[in-house]
Amino acid sequence: MYPKLKELGVEVLSMSTDSRFTHKIWNETELSKMVEGGIPYPMLSDQGGRIGTVYGVYDEAAGVDIRGRFIIDPDGVLQAMEVLTPTVGRNPNELLRQVQAYQHVRSTGGAEVTPSGWTPGETTLKVGPDLVGRVWEVWKP
Amino acid sequence: MTMARVGKPAPDFEASAYIVGEGFKNVKLSDYRGQWVVLCFYPGDFTFV
Repeated sequence: MYPKLKELGVEVLSMSTDSRFTHKIWNETELSKMVEGGIPYPMLSDQGGRIGTVYGVYDEAAGVDIRGRFIIDPDGVLQAMEVLTPTVGRNPNELLRQVQAYQHVRSTGGAEVTPSGWTPGETTLKVGPDLVGRVWEVWKP
Repeated sequence: MTMARVGKPAPDFEASAYIVGEGFKNVKLSDYRGQWVVLCFYPGDFTFV
């Protein structure tokens, strides 16, 4: 998934309450056996949960940041967030789809928006008064 | 303290980081202005999911 995101010009940052030293050892001893060369993106440390608190993902009782995923655009605006409890992993394909959709909307300057389940190449909606009450003509779920 | 909300500027932060091939350095979210960023929190190193 990372190469696909990289192609789209997306930087990935991961973050947990572990120290940078733990990140290094985890990458060297385990992750590098799952991904050749190890995790290629910066692994950030949020010891104390200060950053996770601001992002609404810090669990004070457990002392950890729960699974939260945030898409931030080139202007630094937070466009999307998904927060899961620790027992279920994320779906990278849905992340990719959302990034592609946000990039498409941005490339049109917001003139087009993407309907539910949109993937690249599918019909978008052209925002304007003509569309009001007529979405059914151009898009059927 | 401003909380993260969609449609609003993502709260900036600075954090120490480990980067393979580079070692330890500090990373600021604002360093990535002009690029798309995916920020992923997870509960802990050496866990299972």
